[in-house]
Amino acid sequence: MIDQKIRTDVLIIGGGVCGLNAAITAREAGQSVTIMEKAVVERSGHIAGGVDHFLAYLNTDKAWDTREAYLQFTATSAKGATNLKVVENVYCDELEAAIQRFEDIKCTLKQPDGTYFRTQSYGQPGPWWINFNGKKMKPLLGKYARKSGCNILDRVVVGDLLVNDGQVCGAAGFNIRTGEFYVVQAKAVVVSTGGTNRLYQNPSGLSFSCWMCPANTGDGEAMALRAGAELANVEYLRMTVVPRAFSAAGLNALVGMGAKLVNGKGEEFMERYDTMGMNGPRYKLVEGVLGELKAHRGPVYMDCRHLEPKALKHLVTTLAYDKDTLPDYFEQKGLDLSRDLMEISTSEGMQGGPNEVCGSGVKIDHNCATNVRGLFAGGNSADQCRSLHMAVTSGLHAGRCASEYSKHFNGSSPSPSEKQIKSVKQRLFAPMNESRDLDWREFEDVLQKVLTEGMGPVRSKWSMEKAWQNLDLLDQWKNKVKAKNFHDLCRTQEVYNMMTVARCMITAAGYRKESRFGLCHNRLDYPEPDDANWLGQIAVRDEGDRIVPVFVPLNY
Amino acid sequence: MPAVIDQELCISCGKCDKSCPLDVIHFNLETEITEVIYPEECWHCGSCRQVCPEKAISIRFPLRILVCAGTSPY
Repeated sequence: MIDQKIRTDVLIIGGGVCGLNAAITAREAGQSVTIMEKAVVERSGHIAGGVDHFLAYLNTDKAWDTREAYLQFTATSAKGATNLKVVENVYCDELEAAIQRFEDIKCTLKQPDGTYFRTQSYGQPGPWWINFNGKKMKPLLGKYARKSGCNILDRVVVGDLLVNDGQVCGAAGFNIRTGEFYVVQAKAVVVSTGGTNRLYQNPSGLSFSCWMCPANTGDGEAMALRAGAELANVEYLRMTVVPRAFSAAGLNALVGMGAKLVNGKGEEFMERYDTMGMNGPRYKLVEGVLGELKAHRGPVYMDCRHLEPKALKHLVTTLAYDKDTLPDYFEQKGLDLSRDLMEISTSEGMQGGPNEVCGSGVKIDHNCATNVRGLFAGGNSADQCRSLHMAVTSGLHAGRCASEYSKHFNGSSPSPSEKQIKSVKQRLFAPMNESRDLDWREFEDVLQKVLTEGMGPVRSKWSMEKAWQNLDLLDQWKNKVKAKNFHDLCRTQEVYNMMTVARCMITAAGYRKESRFGLCHNRLDYPEPDDANWLGQIAVRDEGDRIVPVFVPLNY
Repeated sequence: MPAVIDQELCISCGKCDKSCPLDVIHFNLETEITEVIYPEECWHCGSCRQVCPEKAISIRFPLRILVCAGTSPY
């Protein structure tokens, strides 16, 4: 029944930036480590093709460049979603070690002249974004993890966590090329599978051409939920501003270097939407673009023509670190940023935290631990983590804390039950059944339309009820989705996991009877923020026949 | 067809296959040809092109990206 059975101290699910950092740290703590990754770790996850920015305060003599300033900004900009105790331990306490890790893997955050190039955006009080050449960050990190002695299972996607008497004791999955079934027994497990990025319609009509990595489909969130873990901040919608029809990363670099949004009439319009104008939060930039388009003042453009040649050169270079193929897009469209306006639009929606300093997903405490024994989470799949800076720091922290937990077992640790392994295997391979005939693409397309219609930048009790009903209808087709090979079997699990996240999202959003963070949770029937009643997180958990929301207050 | 492999230049080293985060490119062991078999699942991340030792990979954006018109679903 099992093709490969492996025992390890610490199991990492998802070999992206967070997972690899957790793995390396656990190895340094003397633990045996196994990584299960659905692609190949040197080029997997959101940073596969490169990255150009890391957020950090550097403790210079500036008032904005301190731990206190970071916490203050986080408390105000993500109020009601961020847990400062967690942020202090997971980010602030690990920041120095995180910057050192970049040096260790030979991917420095510094410019060739030894200085940091820092830019400011999204309402932050100072230039916290360090621009760097992260083109090779992922291959370097992957090689470092291999060298440190991690057992890396490339192309093995995890279907479920294994739980024995309330203790997570491993995971089961399969190889997406060969179909080999893997069972890994572990003393501690870290979920680091990224966010849920393919949940909404893509304006280009191309589902995989999304802003963040399309391989990240809420797998970790869904499996953690099934294992009894709570998810939090999942009601929030996340969108960004992108070159039209090409959801490339890069808004931060554009805004940070001084680019401006203009409408079809050539007017700068952001002041109308936010007092900080172009330096407002990302969701306000999205609101501005949507507002201009709705008022028929589009097309909307990004204007870089006023930038000094040196600044423009830096911008174009750094954009290509973040999205390798963006120069090709410019070239194939005949676009020259020094001469032309670049037409932009909003990206697809996604399930994500409110801003760059707060995430959504598996609810963690200050030790990156979940409410389920032996289960830890970090990176974009954890409720407090977002962006590269927290992928690295939460990786370090989760690796440290999971190692401590693993060490507390003296000798024996719980084993997965044969019964659960059998039922997971049955569930995972069911779509290979000949009697099925529905393509996962069709299922995904409808799921995206349901979410876009009912759970978009404007939502209401009635729109969400309709979305829920549509998911009920869609559910009737779930057992018809067919996989003709193991690649498709992976995609089938992905759409199932997105369906689970969608249910959690609607449950949490329906429960939160207020609006918060602009378009992230913008309810037509409760249009104002209501701190008196809703200053805190909604945690959701699976109680078998239904998903139950609970309000968890936060104090600031 | 986002990533395009020039079969004249390709030396079948399989590096692009291993570098694709979406399992879009497969090196066929029988034919020894590297193919973009799931072009509609390409993320345009450029990983394959970066690792290709022969510069055999180019990126060709779908027409829907290069010429975009129509109402946004948002």
